[in-house]
Amino acid sequence: MVLTSHFVALGLYALTTVLVLAPFAGLRSAPRSLLLGVPIAGMAAHLLGVAQLTPFMGVAPTLSMLALFLALFQVASEAAFRASAVGVFTGPLATGLIGLALLIGLVPDARPVAGRSPWSILHITVSILGLAMLALAFIAAALYLLQFRELKAKRFGQVFRLFPPLERLDQLNHLSLVVGFPTVTLGVLLGFGVRYAGGVSVDAAQVVWGMLMWLVLGWAVGVRVVRHWAGRRAAFASIASFAAVLLVYLALKLTTPGTQRFL
Amino acid sequence: MSITVLGVNHRTAPLDVRERFAHTAGEVPQALERVLAAGARGGVLLSTCNRTEFYLAEPDDAVPEAVWALLSERLGAGRSASEYGYVQRDRDAVRHLYRVSAGLDSMILGEPQIQGQVRDAWDVSKPLAGPVLHRLFQSALLVGARVRSETSLATGAASAPSAAVTVAGKIFTQLAGRSALILGAGDIAELAATCLVSEGVRVTLVANRTYERARAIAEELGARALTLDEAWEHFGDCDIVLSSTAAPHAVVTWDRVAAAIGRRGGRPLCILDLAVPRDVEPAVAQLENVFLYDLDDLQAVAAHAAAERRDDIPAAERIVTEEVERFWGWYGGLVVVPVLREFRDRMEAVRAAELERTLRRLPHLSPEDRDQIEYFSQALLNKFLHQPTVALKEAARAGRGYGLLDALKRLFGLERRDGT
Repeated sequence: MVLTSHFVALGLYALTTVLVLAPFAGLRSAPRSLLLGVPIAGMAAHLLGVAQLTPFMGVAPTLSMLALFLALFQVASEAAFRASAVGVFTGPLATGLIGLALLIGLVPDARPVAGRSPWSILHITVSILGLAMLALAFIAAALYLLQFRELKAKRFGQVFRLFPPLERLDQLNHLSLVVGFPTVTLGVLLGFGVRYAGGVSVDAAQVVWGMLMWLVLGWAVGVRVVRHWAGRRAAFASIASFAAVLLVYLALKLTTPGTQRFL
Repeated sequence: MSITVLGVNHRTAPLDVRERFAHTAGEVPQALERVLAAGARGGVLLSTCNRTEFYLAEPDDAVPEAVWALLSERLGAGRSASEYGYVQRDRDAVRHLYRVSAGLDSMILGEPQIQGQVRDAWDVSKPLAGPVLHRLFQSALLVGARVRSETSLATGAASAPSAAVTVAGKIFTQLAGRSALILGAGDIAELAATCLVSEGVRVTLVANRTYERARAIAEELGARALTLDEAWEHFGDCDIVLSSTAAPHAVVTWDRVAAAIGRRGGRPLCILDLAVPRDVEPAVAQLENVFLYDLDDLQAVAAHAAAERRDDIPAAERIVTEEVERFWGWYGGLVVVPVLREFRDRMEAVRAAELERTLRRLPHLSPEDRDQIEYFSQALLNKFLHQPTVALKEAARAGRGYGLLDALKRLFGLERRDGT
């Protein structure tokens, strides 16, 4: 059931990616109902699979959950911001992540897991949701910079036509950061709770990476909200933040082999 | 029985001629009444800046002359309007209206305003349109809507002012409520400002070299008038600047506006320079969050959209052809039924009269024999009428019934007009 659900979701996310990318290849844009309906159907199948993956042991379930949140944000971006171009990133990302999860192996771990309480599961879910929001902020920032470049260079091609207005992308970036920061904060607090109140052992790498994500996201929100950065400067801040989180993760993953529970 | 369109458009008449033919909504009923008095069952007058067309149902032979006479009076100087005009009949007339409504016959391919103009023409002419044109115009609006929804004929901006709206729409989430500063008080600035206002943009300031001219435009747009020198500081607070002065050199320079733009705090500023020669120094585009577009850029946007629209012409024409056949099928049936009814009535009257005369000469027949003869006469009549009836209905469905109907009317002396 877990594998079937994931394969169905994989197929539907791949189809969504094709629908989103088709206009860039000069084909007719898909109707909005399809751009919303196909990923929603994929999410429904995906949710069935993810629900059976608790307590989220290992990398594969985490990747699967991240893919689910990215698909969710793609649908939300299209529904609320008419920003189907977000799917240019989220579509392949969600498809790739779910494919990677399937390659790594998604069979639930039958071994009893000490300390995997509902709080622990909530900590993982909320943290990944925060990470997905940081990814969405990065995507909105990247789209912003691409559209900015086209508008400044007076190129009126596919990006100009198919990407949302600059201001809307800036709003999406702002919203992702402002909602993402409290989410990551909650995830970090839950992590401390699980570690100290629950007595669960946590790898140092996990703590370092979690705290770094919180600090970086806090900085990105700070410059937007407190220092009123907007537009291109804010977009660069978001991209730098996400790149830092990603690079530190890779560095930790490479330097601390054997930390199987780290993501 | 026919539908005819007579008129002039941007392909057949220059602007100064078309201007004279343009009818206001108030003039339409009077013009139509005059044309219909020459002998037509219904009429609609479609008059825009690019076309003046009379759509007429069942016009008599004298009607075209009445139309050209009416238009020639507006032309004056003894000139004839017919030299600028065209006439299309029946299917071609229906196809013409459908193409007009779909924007296929417009100066700017696919422009959306024509749909509203067709609707307005129909509304104004409704009391004089008659049932056939009523149906024709209703279907024309549906054809226009179908072409716009099923093809990309109406997507994108196909003129410089609408391209200005498109470009601004790629910077701001929504244009409604944005504030605009207009530099210059010429016709082009006014036209582009009207396009922006139609999208909900508020023109808050109008600046011109001469204050009086700025005030005249500002009053029209509900804005405040300024001189050019007062305008530079407002680059810091408006969202869109539309420039079209008659200055021979750039008036918007880095030195004049950089400080004001620096105070914007990252908010984008869209500058649309519609002047030739350009009003805005290219260096202004280097300022952070300033998006500067001149007339060439906007024409590039429009050309791009127009090229995409042209790709969809075959699909739009297919829809028009399909809908012409649908209308013609309905119209053909409408024409055939009353003629067939009258034909059968006439034949039945002949049969009844001949039967009565025959039976008078044969008084010795029993009632059963009389019934047999009556039955025979009816059966014979039905056999005779069956094939012509079927052929006419089929021809009508295929839109080829008019020749046969004319022949039938002439051969059997059917005087009553059809379709009523």
